[in-house]
Formats: sequence, structure tokens, C-alpha cells
Amino acid sequence: MADPIIEVRELSFRYPGAECDTLRNVDLTIERGDFVAIVGGNGSGKTTLCKTFNGLVPHYWSGEFAGSVRVAGEDTWESSVARLSWTVGYVYQDFQNQLVRPTVRDEVAFGPINFGFDDHAERTEEALAAVGIAHLADRFVWQLSGGQAHRVALASVLAMRPEVIVVDEPVAELDPAAAHEVYEQLTALNRERGITVITIEHHAEFIAQYARSVVLMSDGAPVWHLPADEALERAGELADHGIPAPQIVDAMRVAGVGGVARSVDAAAARIRAARAAAPVAGAAVPEPRPDRAVVVEALRVSHGFRSVSGEVQPVIDELDLALREGDRVAIIGGNGAGKTTLMRLLAGIHVPRSGEVVLDGSNTRASRAGRLAEKAAYLYQQPERMFLKESVRADIELFPRSRKEPETMAIVDRILERVRLTEFAERDGRTLSGGQQRRATLAIGLAMRPALLLLDEPTASLDVASRDDVIDMLAELDGAISCAVIATHDMHLVSEWATRVIALEDGRVVADTTPRALFADDELLSRARLVPPQVVQLGRALGMDPLPLTVAEFAAAFDPMEVPA
Amino acid sequence: MSVARKQRDVVSVEWVKLELIRTAYSTRGGLFAAMDPRAVLAWYVMLALAPWFTHNLTTIACLFALGVVSVAVARVGPLVLGLFVIGLGFELVYLVLAATLFGGDFTTFVALTEVTMKIGVVSLASLAAFVSLDPEKLSDALLALRCPPTIAFAVSYGYRMMPILVEEFSTVMEGYRLRQAPPAKAGFLGWRHLVHWATLAVKAFYPIFLNTAKSVRTTVEALEARGFTFATIDGRGRRIRIAGLRYRWLDLVVVLATAALIAAGFAIGAEWPLYRG
Repeated sequence: MADPIIEVRELSFRYPGAECDTLRNVDLTIERGDFVAIVGGNGSGKTTLCKTFNGLVPHYWSGEFAGSVRVAGEDTWESSVARLSWTVGYVYQDFQNQLVRPTVRDEVAFGPINFGFDDHAERTEEALAAVGIAHLADRFVWQLSGGQAHRVALASVLAMRPEVIVVDEPVAELDPAAAHEVYEQLTALNRERGITVITIEHHAEFIAQYARSVVLMSDGAPVWHLPADEALERAGELADHGIPAPQIVDAMRVAGVGGVARSVDAAAARIRAARAAAPVAGAAVPEPRPDRAVVVEALRVSHGFRSVSGEVQPVIDELDLALREGDRVAIIGGNGAGKTTLMRLLAGIHVPRSGEVVLDGSNTRASRAGRLAEKAAYLYQQPERMFLKESVRADIELFPRSRKEPETMAIVDRILERVRLTEFAERDGRTLSGGQQRRATLAIGLAMRPALLLLDEPTASLDVASRDDVIDMLAELDGAISCAVIATHDMHLVSEWATRVIALEDGRVVADTTPRALFADDELLSRARLVPPQVVQLGRALGMDPLPLTVAEFAAAFDPMEVPA
Repeated sequence: MSVARKQRDVVSVEWVKLELIRTAYSTRGGLFAAMDPRAVLAWYVMLALAPWFTHNLTTIACLFALGVVSVAVARVGPLVLGLFVIGLGFELVYLVLAATLFGGDFTTFVALTEVTMKIGVVSLASLAAFVSLDPEKLSDALLALRCPPTIAFAVSYGYRMMPILVEEFSTVMEGYRLRQAPPAKAGFLGWRHLVHWATLAVKAFYPIFLNTAKSVRTTVEALEARGFTFATIDGRGRRIRIAGLRYRWLDLVVVLATAALIAAGFAIGAEWPLYRG
């Protein structure tokens, strides 16, 4: 039974002033009630394609438009953005900027009131309830966490009672637990209300788990549109377009089983059926020497911030911590656990309300933040926040040059080389891609030549390829800095890079351990709302001990056995 | 000389941000916050115009006192109040200086004071009224008074942007503070630090505008998709928005009481007149 909701025929589009077409001869049909993942590398035209569905292209972005797009039988060329928005809801990647009203209820009611719907109040309540945020209705939008703000953005398009919802990269700005919640929400809307869901997605795990069909975009046109199972079979093709296969698929390949599984349990069952899991030949973990020099130490530190209503909200609570030379520390914990605050205290940007922070032998209270920056560099979660100058080179140069470092030029050149940005040195940092921006901020941090490097969510909102790039680069830093600290939700980063994991909860250290011990601790995992990488989950399901942290370690466990050709 | 650093809760950028939010969204409550926004605007116009109809210093002083009382019942926060007091203080100092330097005497001073007092009354009324109106109320009131919807929205969106801009400013300043070397010596009264800070504050504008411009693109698209332009043409949205506005007894009482007090001010002025020169 074919009942198309979106029909794209011979569509080409070129942005005004652009050199070439962003979309070329697109032919695509999306069935009513489908759950579609649109995948493809950066610049493949995914977002532009999605903007043709609600008429932003060609009505708001008026470039050269040829061909036709029909949404629910209506030609978008004849219609308008306002009219099409009743049918198609759009949630942006930077969804925070899509919130235009001060309170949650106003935000959700904004669309229905603008269109003069008399049932705007019911629509608002219904949309708030549908995404489970009725209790937040009277909050101000800037008080929300990322996950909550995404729900508000979703509710505000649901209030229009759309037939199609487009969600642009929900994983990018959310922690994994929140991203899973978004997908669960979308799945429920898709099942219960028959809403067609279209997501733009880089992560094969999410595609495997939630999507019903997959559109692969390349160079402005769909390569194919296939049911999810068939799409995931084409792992090689996906990898070529920047979508590496999920870890379980890789793991099955190295275990000699092959094929595609959509969940960890399915993969474990297939591996178990094919062969008995071999225990890992204990990868010898070198015990870190305890006598290494302390780089930074926190002594009974408490800190908090004042809220709008005036009282101090405690964030860090009587925390003791010592980080030593050679540590690769990952700080984990849910939103609001105090990760960022702790890092900023360690870097001496803030001083604690009580307790002391001793950085490289001296108390942070004794020096200005600008002087402490010579010992500790803190890199923001959003790279754009670190671009102050008109070019990447000028940004990297700022710190050494203003300190009259005679070899500034040489240092900057070396660092640019190291982060592979030499050819982009004269570009404005804001115009770079996500992965390049992240590397540029890393370069800014390195130019400060700190003993302690603190990075806030360095892999957030990166596609898988850029993420692996950043992880590799971090691994190479050991010689340049004494101690690196990362606050992260990214368990891949934890398992592949960290040697020490510190779990925070309500501003206290609840665990100080190794990644392997972390992933073996069920209670801690559920408490910190963590989802281990798939290969770790698979190792657990197969009862492997010690747990494999990477696909390579997983492969090592199977190595001694004969792999069928 | 190094002073130990401490976490400061007032007179920091963070504090300014919180104060602005508290002020803009009238989180402190107060008498006028409970009123209908149209009545508040009417009240404001009344008190702001009154001083311009007289030269009688007694009347103006009464109106000034009324303004002070309004500010108190509106629970105006320390930041804007502080700025107002500082502004008024500087104005007085300047008047004294100007009067002496240009060969004036006490009468010149009094003459200039009259205008200062009048402006003071208007400022106090503005503080009381606009601190009590959150952007939604203000924009609904403007809509109800037949203002173009674009202006009404601009008011509300301007307020929404404010915390974003302040946040952006504090981030950029922090970046400069950490990465640009501070002056090695403080100089007389720390003038080198002052110059350093002033330079940074100016340099901060380039990144702020570029970063904000980028995020606003999404906002503008979202506005389009959610019928903002549609609502400026179609009247139904306006009807729904202003349907929530109701005049109540409190509005009438406050407006009448203020009218009576202003009248009383003029009466007292007539009884004990005091004119300049």
C-alpha cells in the first residue's frame, strides 16, 4: 500500500550566490508513517533537502529551484512556509536558538496563537503532555538543561499537530542518555500517532536501533533509499560516506561471524551460536605508579552559584581530589553534576567559596586568572566561544604573542602542523566544520603550553569520523602536557582514551576508578545514566573478563582461535 | 601586592546578568506587577507628564516623593536603582561645578536643579513601570493599544536576547582575560589595568556580533516556520493574545489614587509656592 507523504521529483537547488547546486536531480518518495534516517557526509545536502519539506527552500532561501516537492499532496512551490508548517514540523540542530519566547508554555503556544487557532490552549497542553514536560510549563527557557530544551522545541512543533517531524541531528548537542530519550519519544509519536519522522543522523547505532528506512545522500542527491536492514548490510558504502558501522557489526566481523545485528543482544546471540566466547587473554594493565608528582589538587572544595531568586545553589560539595602527572582523567556524571564547575575551579578561572585549589604548587587564590592560564588551559564545550580573532592563526597566536614569547611564529607553525590545520590558518574559525573547529580550539590550548589541559566535552556534536580524529589527537598529546582532564558523556572517548575515571554526582566524587572497572559496575552505570560503548556491552553479554574496551581488544580475545575464512 | 581572590556575588558580570534578568522579568513582584499592563502604561504616562506642567518647586518635590514611593512599592532591584542614584549624584556634582565655573550663583544652581528634578521624576516613574512589566505583558499591552505587531514582538524578543548577549559578552571577556597577557605593572591607581579592561571591552564586540549573528539565523527561520509573519497579516493571533487582558479594581484604585496624589501635589504647591529666582 503506497501512500506517499513527501514526493520529490527532479529537484535541483542552488543557494543564491553559490558556485554549484546543493541539491541535484533529487528523486525521493517518503511513505506516510515511515521513520526515515537521512545520512551522508558533511556538505552532502541533507539539511537543505529537509528544508525543502517545509518550504524554507525555496520561499525563505530563494535560490534557483527546479523540479517539484509535494508534501501531503500540496506543491510546496505554490504554498508558503506558514501553510506548510502545519504539516511539517522542524527541530533544528541548534535547537536552543529556535526558542523565542521566555517561558516554556509561551514557547509551545507561540505557533498555535500566531495561526489564530481557537483551541491553542488544548494544543499546548496536549503537546506538553506528549513529550512529558507539563511540569516545566512555567520555567524560563534559559533555565532548562539541553535535554529539556530539546523537548520544548519538539513540543512547540507538535502543538501544530504536524503529519511530519524533521529532527536535525538530535545526538549532536545532547548527552547519549538524552539522545536515546529523544529517539524513544519520536518512536512513540511515530507508532501511536502515525507521525512520519525524518531524522538527520551520523550515528549508525541510532539508525540501527530506531530507523525503519535509510536515505544515503552524497553530493546533493540520494544514492539509495532502503529499508534499515538492507542499508546496514552495506556497511562499506556507509563507511565511505562517513558513517562507520556500529561497533557490534565490527565486533561480529572480527569474531568471524559476519552479518548485521541491530542490537547488542542479537549480536551476542549470534556470536554465541557460532562459537563459544573465548576468555580474553588478560591484557596486562600496568598499575600506575602512585608516587608521580601532583599537578593539581583540590582540598575540601565547595562552590556554588547564585540563582535568579537569590539563593546559592551548591554545585561542588567538600570535594577532595589530586591529579598526577601522566593521568588521562575523564570526569563523568549527568548534567548538573558539577563537571564544568570543577574544571573551571581547577584551572583557577573561579576560586572556590570554601576550600583551596593548589595548581602546580601554588594556591589559585594568590594569582590572577590570566597568570594561572600559563599553567592550566580550559577549553570550552562550544568551540565558537574560543574564537576571538579574525583567523585561526591570530587566535592561536594571541596567548604567546601577548606574553612576548620570542618564538611565537615557530610555536604557532608547529602547533598548526600538529593539529593539521596549516591550510586553514588564515580562515575565520567560525567558518570551519565541527571537527576542524575542535582541532583549532585544541591548538589554542596547546599554544598556552599548559601543564594541565582541561577539555569540556571535546567530542560533542562531532560526526564519528571527526570524533575518532580528535581522540587520536588527544592520545598523541601525552608528551606535550603533564595531565589532561576531560569532562564527557562520550563513553567511546572514556574507553579508548582515559586511564582514570572520576564520577561526579551532586558535586561529590562517587567513584575514582579505571574505565574497565567502571563498565563492570552496574550500580554506578545506572546511577550516572551511562550507556557503555556497544563493544563493552557485547563483552558483558558474552561474559568476557576482563571486559574489552575497544574493538581491537575484543578482536584480541578471538585471535588465538581459528577464524573461519 | 596581591590580594587573595574570593568568589564575589555582587558587582560581578554574573551578578549584572542575574540583576538584568530579575529586572526584565519582574521576578521580585511588587504592586504594579499585579496590575493590567495597559493600566500600568496609563499610570506611567500620567506621572511622567505631570512635572512638565509646572515650574513650582514644591509641586515637583511632591511628585519626586511620589516617584520614590512608587519605586519602593515596585521593588526595583539594586542594579538599576544604583545606576539611577549614581547618575543623579553625578548630575548634581556637575551642576555645582557648572554653576561655579561659569560665574553663576545659587540661583543658577536652583534653575538647573528644576530640570534635573523633572527628569528624576520621569526616571523614577519609568523604573517603577518597566521593572514591573515583563516583556510579555508589555508586548501584549502594546498590541492592545494598536501598536504594529512587529514592534510588540521586537520588545519581547529584545528581552529574550538580553541574557544571551550578556552571556556572550562575559564568555568573550573571560577568553580575553585568560589569553591576553595582563599588564605587568599596575601603574598609578592601577590605570594600566583600567586601560587593559577598556581595550578588551571594545575588542569583545567583534566576536560577540559574529557569534550572535550565526545563531540568529536559526531563530529567524524558526519564526517564519511558526507563523510569525502570518500573524502580522492575520488578526486572529492578536485577538487571542489580548483576550487575557482584564482591568480589575486594583487598576482603577491605583490610577485614581495616583491622580489624587498628583492633584494633591499641585494643591500643596499652590499653598506654599516656591519658585526659582
